[in-house]
Amino acid sequence: MYDATDVQDILRDVEPLSGRVIPVRTVQEARPREEFADAYVAEVSVKSASKVIKALDNAFPRDPSRPLNHLRRFAKHTQIPDGLQSTLIKGEPSTQTIFTLITPPLPEVEELQKLLAPFAPPPETPSESSQDTRNIELQTICIPLEPPLTVGQAENWSKTMWPVVFNPATPRATIAPPPQTLNRVLDSIKPKAGHYLALARKVADEAENSGLGRRVGAVVVDPELEAYISATNGDIGIHWADAIVTVAGDVRYARREAGAMSESERQLGEGPNSNVQTYNSDVEGGPELHALMRAADLVADARRKQDGNESNRQLPLNKLEKFFLSQSEISGTEPLVDPDDSSPVPGKYQKTDTGAIPKPIDRSREPRLRSRAQGGYLCTDLDVYLTHEPCLCCSMGLLLSRFRAVIFPRQGRMITGGLASEPIIAPIPVPDFTNEEHEASEATRDQDQHKLEGEASTEHADPQTGRLYYGLHWRKELNWRALGFEFVEEEVTEKSAEEGVAFHA
Amino acid sequence: MEEGSRHAYFMRQALLMGERALETGETPVGCVLVYDNQIVGSGMNDTNKSMNGTRHAEFIAIEQMLRSHPKSLLRSTKLYVTVEPCVMCASALRQYRIQAVYFGCGNERFGGTGSILSLHTDFSIDPPYPVYGGLFSKEAVMLLRRFYIQENEKAPKPRPKKNRELNTRFGDDA
Repeated sequence: MYDATDVQDILRDVEPLSGRVIPVRTVQEARPREEFADAYVAEVSVKSASKVIKALDNAFPRDPSRPLNHLRRFAKHTQIPDGLQSTLIKGEPSTQTIFTLITPPLPEVEELQKLLAPFAPPPETPSESSQDTRNIELQTICIPLEPPLTVGQAENWSKTMWPVVFNPATPRATIAPPPQTLNRVLDSIKPKAGHYLALARKVADEAENSGLGRRVGAVVVDPELEAYISATNGDIGIHWADAIVTVAGDVRYARREAGAMSESERQLGEGPNSNVQTYNSDVEGGPELHALMRAADLVADARRKQDGNESNRQLPLNKLEKFFLSQSEISGTEPLVDPDDSSPVPGKYQKTDTGAIPKPIDRSREPRLRSRAQGGYLCTDLDVYLTHEPCLCCSMGLLLSRFRAVIFPRQGRMITGGLASEPIIAPIPVPDFTNEEHEASEATRDQDQHKLEGEASTEHADPQTGRLYYGLHWRKELNWRALGFEFVEEEVTEKSAEEGVAFHA
Repeated sequence: MEEGSRHAYFMRQALLMGERALETGETPVGCVLVYDNQIVGSGMNDTNKSMNGTRHAEFIAIEQMLRSHPKSLLRSTKLYVTVEPCVMCASALRQYRIQAVYFGCGNERFGGTGSILSLHTDFSIDPPYPVYGGLFSKEAVMLLRRFYIQENEKAPKPRPKKNRELNTRFGDDA
């Protein structure tokens, strides 16, 4: 059994990290992906503009998943980009005609010409009037498929490609979290992030020193409890820890395989497992033994217990893990945090041999982990604080568990990580929206990756380490998303994990 | 056994696991792990029963296999799974150094071996693995359709689906 006063000592000794919490940008923010495609332009009579739209939309319905609403459907002669004027405008510019855009998927040329023929501009001189002159000429131009992200980009495209409209609401919705959501969560995380991350390191120390795993830890916090606690207790003592739902350390050496002793059982004596010095996949256990996946499983296990099911936990628990699990599983009979520690004398000096008798504290709900009846579902609305950037498997596990937010120290970035979206010293972005240059840079990027893996990836690679920047926390392609934050410490106390042994955290 | 019929046999076993998942109210994805032409582990989605969103079929099968085999055996073990592994499982399989993956239908929402990401070949500290898709993909899709036509009573806000009809069409007519 755990010793509650011991745990309180650990919590009192937690020295919060000091630094800044900054959002991890999404990959689309870090490297706006510009996609371009061919489109047709046809000159039609200005009077039939509305009929043209109707005819086009009836014959070739638009793809609702890609409405291309940022592209103007018509352009007057004066709105045609300079570079296209010589191709599009034949003869004298006329106010009687207008140019219409036909966007991809592009229909058959003949079919389109037939459809638009009735709306072709009237011949310039009546004498030339014949069937042949009522021909629609289609010109191919290049258009941006994605809506512009900035006013500048919109202006640039309008000047060089085709008139586009900038709508500040459209791009944010898919490529990045809404700013108000991001700021609200950032504000709720900021005050105590240093505490939870420091505790995550204590959890990690336990994991390593027990020989059960690598020095990786996770702390799961219910931000609703956190808000309640700071509203009722302010900054007093160790109440910040009352918002913790569970903690979990890495246990990759603790599983028995094929009935044999586990790597941690094999090890003689105390202290870190000798396997931590290198990466040997045969003794790395698996990602379900990583801190984040275990945290999600401990939450699930506690909820199964609340539902009256037997626990199927098989792996050993360390002191901090047992302590917080007891807070989440049982209902209010064993409150272990001393409520009266506002005393100026630190608690550890008050401890006597008889031990402090814990008193119940007032909490908004018991137990800490919201039950299913209270709307608890997977890890919805919970935040997870990690010592390291989680591996790709855990990064996706975090989304499938529906965590609200993930926070890790920048020092804990891993070359195997799934969350970072760009190198730390980002190259100064050069705004460049021309198609040719864009394609050129794409090509070099792909070539670099060929060297690395023999097969091109669509992800962005770091030229030094080869690592890829997935920014998995928020990708428009994925069904679930979380908010991602990095903690940048004021004073860095240890070298970056990216420079250490490469493993999956 | 012919190589083709061998693949078919193991994928049918994976589909049977998917059927079992459907019967117990789980997302119908099933898989088997095959070493030396023997099934050494099998799994089906277990996210609802376990209340853990990460308990996908692949993890269940690996867990079962590791009860009687060492992890290193996975290097010579093939996975047959009804649906393309998700991003999480694609990375896990790489970390476990699976020999090869055969899947039924693609996974347009979460697929990690080609659909959304390509974690089987991207840069990593573990070697890449080959992936072969399209084995009994219609059967795999039908399992999923039979599942998603039901209501998810466990979701916080179940969506009513009373008037849905099971879609049995494929290809251009779907």
